[in-house]
Amino acid sequence: MRTNLLFFLFALTFSSYSQDKYTISGYVRSAQTGEELIGATIAVRSLNTGVSSNVYGFYSLTLNEGSYEVSYTYIGYQEIKKTIELNENVELNIELKETVNELEVVEITDEAANKNISSIEMSVNKIDSKTIKKIPALLGEADVVKSILLLPGVSTVGEGSTGFNVRGGGIDQNLVLLDEAPVYNSSHLFGFFSVFNPDAVKNVKLIKGGIAPEYGGRLSSILDIRMKEGNKKEFTGSGGVGAIFSRLSLEGPIIKDKASFLIAGRRSYADVLAKPFLDDNLSGSQFYFYDLTAKVNYELNSKNRFFLSGYFGRDVFGSGFLFNWGNATATLRWNHIFNEKLFMNLTGYYSDYDYAFGVEGDDEDDFEWSSSIVSYSVKPDFSYYLNNKNTIRFGGQSIYYDFKPAEAKFASDGQTNDISLPEKFAMENGLYIQNEQKIGARTSLLYGIRWSHFSYLGEGVKQTYRDTTPGIRKPLESEEFFDKNERITSYNNFEPRLSIKYELDEVSSLKASYNRMSQYLHLISNTVASTPIDVWLPSTNNIEPQIADQIAVGYFRNFKNNMYEASAEVFAKDFQNQVDYIDNADIFFNEQLEGDLLTGDGRAIGLELFLKKNKGKFTGWVSYTISRSERQVDGINNDDWYPNRFDRLHNLSVVNSYELNEKWSFSANFVYSTGTPATFPTNRYEIQGIVLPHNVDNARNNYRIPAYHRLDISATLTPKKNENRRWKGEWVFSVYNVYSRRNPFAIFFEQNSDDPVVTEAIRFSVIGNFVPAVSYNFNF
Amino acid sequence: MRRFIIYISFAFLFSSCEDVIDVDLDQGKSQLVVDALLTNDSSLQIIRLTKSADYFLNAPTPSASGANVSVLGPNGKTFAFTNTGNGVYTYDPSTNGRLDSVGFVYQLNLVYENKTYVSNSLLNPVPLVDSITYSFEENELGQEDGYYAQFWATDFFGRKDFYYIRAFKNGVSINQDNPSSLILSEDAAFGGNGADGFPFILPIRASITNGDDPFALGDISSVELLSMNRDAYEFLEQVTIQANNGGLFSTPPANIKSNIKAADGSSQDEVLGVFSLSSISKNSIQITQQ
Repeated sequence: MRTNLLFFLFALTFSSYSQDKYTISGYVRSAQTGEELIGATIAVRSLNTGVSSNVYGFYSLTLNEGSYEVSYTYIGYQEIKKTIELNENVELNIELKETVNELEVVEITDEAANKNISSIEMSVNKIDSKTIKKIPALLGEADVVKSILLLPGVSTVGEGSTGFNVRGGGIDQNLVLLDEAPVYNSSHLFGFFSVFNPDAVKNVKLIKGGIAPEYGGRLSSILDIRMKEGNKKEFTGSGGVGAIFSRLSLEGPIIKDKASFLIAGRRSYADVLAKPFLDDNLSGSQFYFYDLTAKVNYELNSKNRFFLSGYFGRDVFGSGFLFNWGNATATLRWNHIFNEKLFMNLTGYYSDYDYAFGVEGDDEDDFEWSSSIVSYSVKPDFSYYLNNKNTIRFGGQSIYYDFKPAEAKFASDGQTNDISLPEKFAMENGLYIQNEQKIGARTSLLYGIRWSHFSYLGEGVKQTYRDTTPGIRKPLESEEFFDKNERITSYNNFEPRLSIKYELDEVSSLKASYNRMSQYLHLISNTVASTPIDVWLPSTNNIEPQIADQIAVGYFRNFKNNMYEASAEVFAKDFQNQVDYIDNADIFFNEQLEGDLLTGDGRAIGLELFLKKNKGKFTGWVSYTISRSERQVDGINNDDWYPNRFDRLHNLSVVNSYELNEKWSFSANFVYSTGTPATFPTNRYEIQGIVLPHNVDNARNNYRIPAYHRLDISATLTPKKNENRRWKGEWVFSVYNVYSRRNPFAIFFEQNSDDPVVTEAIRFSVIGNFVPAVSYNFNF
Repeated sequence: MRRFIIYISFAFLFSSCEDVIDVDLDQGKSQLVVDALLTNDSSLQIIRLTKSADYFLNAPTPSASGANVSVLGPNGKTFAFTNTGNGVYTYDPSTNGRLDSVGFVYQLNLVYENKTYVSNSLLNPVPLVDSITYSFEENELGQEDGYYAQFWATDFFGRKDFYYIRAFKNGVSINQDNPSSLILSEDAAFGGNGADGFPFILPIRASITNGDDPFALGDISSVELLSMNRDAYEFLEQVTIQANNGGLFSTPPANIKSNIKAADGSSQDEVLGVFSLSSISKNSIQITQQ
């Protein structure tokens, strides 16, 4: 914090130089809902300069004394021009009206038309909830994470699996933020759906490269999900009845233009529908998932705003056993404007992921097991709008972690025992400073550094293992006990970040970036798709922090008056300290888990092409990625490099939407990707009549399963309604996997159960048929 | 705890499907395979030697004959195994005594094509199977109406034990249709260190009944409890994983580590298979009207 304070003073000194300059500052909001607009453009065309509003809708523009015409634009909204006599600092809050005819301008992103050219950001994709809702989805259920899979550089190990892979990184390398609180497991139903209710989502931003110093803690991406604030003008609601979920969200003012709320819930009801058809002895089985998202915000005065938001969701399964998992997050934020140039956001959050498993036993025989990761954080961020050339951001973050790898007890024939693993504690700190600097009209730079520090804390045990041949379980050599809050091990890293943009002309630019990221948390998962019971663990003396360096270069070009935007980016990434596992690793209830872990290096390289049509009746995008993602771990694959399980050479997504008229619109998307690698045997041998596979080369991921491709379509019918009626409904008809392709998730080998001497290659498809669905959405 | 994952993967909503497809596989060199699970009782002891073959051979793998097989016991005593053809080598304990010195490390000696292979196995004690109980249960999720049996035994306290449990219905293994689903227990539970000295936990006690084919009146339920060494136990654990490793939550396929090595330490992974000498305890019961 001392550094922050110093910088703050430094910044204040700096500002006192410019006597003849004044600042226009304020918020940009929607006139309809009162919600702040993220990334609205505030421009002075005569000077060819401008800024954009930050994630809280705040802007600050410093100019020489004089008279200016300032324009406020935001896609999908009508431009407002203000003439300002600037001879003192001006506070100006602007409300933009939505464009009346929605069909003419259909926004794909919240950006000003050529933002992708002029902004310093690269390797960034934004989707708003309108776009997410247009994409045909499994069972008609719009889904944030599944939409992200359609973007360049993003892939998945297979249908229905948890999470996503960005530019060759593992699923635990994405920092998934819901209103700034990290979400440790973003899936419902093992990964078929994500936990984010699209009705409550305002903006989704995926940052794959050129990651600014303000972000840290994960190697590969930041998925920044911002929830709606709640309508400040009037009470509204929306919802839907779908094949899997029912949704309802309500929002409205608490004090008009001052305070508003949003509450949104979803519940699956497969269990409710199935109940009458179940046998008596199955009627006790439980099978559902739900989530609840809520937010309130309060504007105390023009300088201070408060936001309180939270998420709570769970999946519950049970039938003779009870299994449930879920996240809970709470975020409290304070936006404070010190003066027209200095904006602060202070965030405090709590985030928890936990699961519990138990058998419905009696006292004699019982098993109860739970596990959790809980984190608490404080995070101040400052934006200092030095002048119209320099925007300085600085801040820090402290996170305290409490890991419960396993809390378990069991009883066998009346004897009980506690088999819990010890809790682990850790503290992660970060400090950053960055400056976004414009040099001339065409060039801008974003440079800065993040310093991160991690302590693995007591109460705990420092285990030391003896080195063995890589790939063999490491034997425990010694143990040392540490008291509460005593430091067991600590690490720190300097993470330089740099982005450069050069505008070739009005419609094209070149951008390049470098970032180093470090990550102190590791998701311990040894399965193809991550399971809900996978455990997060801190870096320890045996598990070193993961580090990644990435460079990316891109060319950005818009066509036809920004109707089309195109980009081509190449990236190269180098990973250190990637966690892997010995064969036969025991990752649950293992006090000596660290002896079963291996570490290795990773590398990824790729080219991403993206073409998007933003306006007109026909909108959508084509995304193509060619990439390779590999790792090298001593003890696996004869110590040679091998492709990651989620590596896919080609990855194509075509996403289209066509608005035929006010009644009908249609969407379709097609995806194609190279099959994932798999390990196939060469030989068989028999032990006790069991035929076993064997690979004489001891190879990992030596084959490819067939390519994945799929077409989904949907049609939306909006019946004509009386204009004065508030209730507006729409029907969405969708078909997922139209041509019923049996896309292999995996190919595995086993004995035929009727004729054990025969062995077979089995293609396992998660969804082997087309899946039609109808849903009804409404708002009022 | 891996078995737990099997529990959760059956909670699927969707039309996931499996079908048999054709795959072209590379061919690899053939290796000697040793299948030597021996016990301390008086039954005929069998070691089977075969050769690995192409994965899609779809016939029994070829047998390896011409080997010299023996087990070295206490006081230099050698138990010689006789080649009875088809790669089957046997030893009859009634001729020269049982392999029953608990606490002694027995050594397999195997000479094949002029090369010697060895493996050690400590003979661990095994608890008695005190009893088998049974009760009639109506059908529940994934299981049929019938009599369900449980076996009762208590793990030794104060030591790490590994067990392999074999269950039979009328003398036939209950997992005929899924031979690779072996019943294994670390102390009295699936894993970890918490079940030392406990009665075997419920899921293991109850695992001696096949839910697809429970017992009927008149059937005989029998169980064999075998003590294991860690390396042989882990071999069997890998067998259950690698022989049926599919689906969303499969682990990376890997070769199963043999506990048999070339005597000269030359190449590590030359032979496949397992050598284990177990103490065995048995019990059985006929299901009758209660």
